[in-house]
Amino acid sequence: MDQPATTIPKIRCEDISKEFIQKGRQRVHVLDHISLDVKENEFVVILGPGQSGKSTLLRIIAGLETPTEGHVLIDGREVEGPGPERGLVFQGYMLFAWKTVLGNVEMGPKLRGIPKKERRETAAHYIHLVGLDGFENHYPHQLSGGMKQRVGIARAYANNPQVMLLDEPFGQLDAQTRYFMEKETARIWETEKRTILFVTNNIDEAIYLADRIVTMEGKLPGRMHVVYPVDLPRPREHTDMAFLKLRHEITEASELTL
Amino acid sequence: MVDVANEVQKQVREKRPFTVMTVLKNRWFLYAVSVAAFFLIWDRVAIARVFSSGLPRPYEVVLQLWSMMFDPLAGKSLLGHVWASTQRILIGFAIASLVAVPLGLMMALNRYVNAIVKPLFDLLKPMPPIAWISIAILWFGIGETSKVFIIVIGTFVPCLLNAYNGVRLVEPELYDVIRMLGGNRRNEIIDVCFPAAFPAIFAGLQISLSIAWTCVLAAELVSARSGLGFIIILGMNLSRPAMIVGGMVIIALVAWGMTLLVTGLEKLVCPWKREIEGL
Repeated sequence: MDQPATTIPKIRCEDISKEFIQKGRQRVHVLDHISLDVKENEFVVILGPGQSGKSTLLRIIAGLETPTEGHVLIDGREVEGPGPERGLVFQGYMLFAWKTVLGNVEMGPKLRGIPKKERRETAAHYIHLVGLDGFENHYPHQLSGGMKQRVGIARAYANNPQVMLLDEPFGQLDAQTRYFMEKETARIWETEKRTILFVTNNIDEAIYLADRIVTMEGKLPGRMHVVYPVDLPRPREHTDMAFLKLRHEITEASELTL
Repeated sequence: MVDVANEVQKQVREKRPFTVMTVLKNRWFLYAVSVAAFFLIWDRVAIARVFSSGLPRPYEVVLQLWSMMFDPLAGKSLLGHVWASTQRILIGFAIASLVAVPLGLMMALNRYVNAIVKPLFDLLKPMPPIAWISIAILWFGIGETSKVFIIVIGTFVPCLLNAYNGVRLVEPELYDVIRMLGGNRRNEIIDVCFPAAFPAIFAGLQISLSIAWTCVLAAELVSARSGLGFIIILGMNLSRPAMIVGGMVIIALVAWGMTLLVTGLEKLVCPWKREIEGL
């Protein structure tokens, strides 16, 4: 604990394993000895096919699941449950249908007891950041999928979390909207830097966004496969030679076509 | 800045030329045709005396209702009888919903409450509320209490079931959201569980209201000195079909009006409901 703050990684996963006990007495081994460090303000993408345990890993870091073995440390402190210093964005948006865009975004500050005026300002700031000005009083059902996820991102950001965890956030979007949202994610991250852990099964999304890509093996128990640093300049182009070269390299190295 | 216009869909209304076909296909025109045909056939059937003197002509029903507005039956005008029935429904409905909704919520949230209440509830649930009428009259006499009791019995079940299922069907990940945002168990219940279950609870109240009409009618048909069921029975005893049909028409109108009121109320208190899947 005496170490200077800079040497402590923002997120440290120490040798995490997870077993679920399913109906009956059948054990499912989901994660096998995962260790991962994420630096402050780093954008790390966990890339893997479905059923590779990557969402479970994210839920463990979020504190929504407890690992069978190992620890998660945020700023050197062990994670013992869900908390507002980590923001989670869900694949299924999970907006509060009974609240407006504003009501959704200000929920985090409201739960932390921030006075109304102040949390309204915070909410307005993040609604602006995700580009939803003018939609403050809309209900989620009035929004398209991409806009819903913008609300999801703004809601997570509004708590001013140290770490953002995104669980296949654009998995339900069509290709065009998805591409557009990736650009937006890069822009938002450049504007307000956070440590980001982003889970996806889409290789282009991974290369477009990541400082570092962690690939998972395509079967259970989930194991980390290879770590690829991505040192392409931003903003990136999907058709860039270096982009395509890395894409080829990752595809070749994994046994599954990603 | 960001352009979200490509994600917003605009509704465009097509303008069609005004022809005979557009009039014939018009929704409101077809409504009018349908209703007019109904009354015309009714009138023809009544004139042809298909049911001998058992079916009054529509205008006779209107005259009967008009006269009942001013000449009291058993000390009450038509509006008085409407109010008598409505009052019973409101009292019974209020008692049932105030007890059943909180009980349903507690059953869904606490497994001990559930374990104690559910077996009794499952035992009594399949019994039609009307089956209670005779015993209710033995217990409470033929006054107001027995009628309110029947309504409470009838509306209790849908109120409780909908509150219970509403909570059970809340998307579990929504609780994860509130916990990630810094909420505790209390926030899970107040900020997620109740509002998420609210549309289902409201649907239960709507169903209850229509069941309440069935119950009050049945109770009034068995024994009453006031109410719309009483008018129908009186019409039968006096052999005045116009009075019977008039009572039926008024019931339909009042029940319809109440449904409209509740639907309007729903739009006011939960404007998000319409779009939620599975409800």
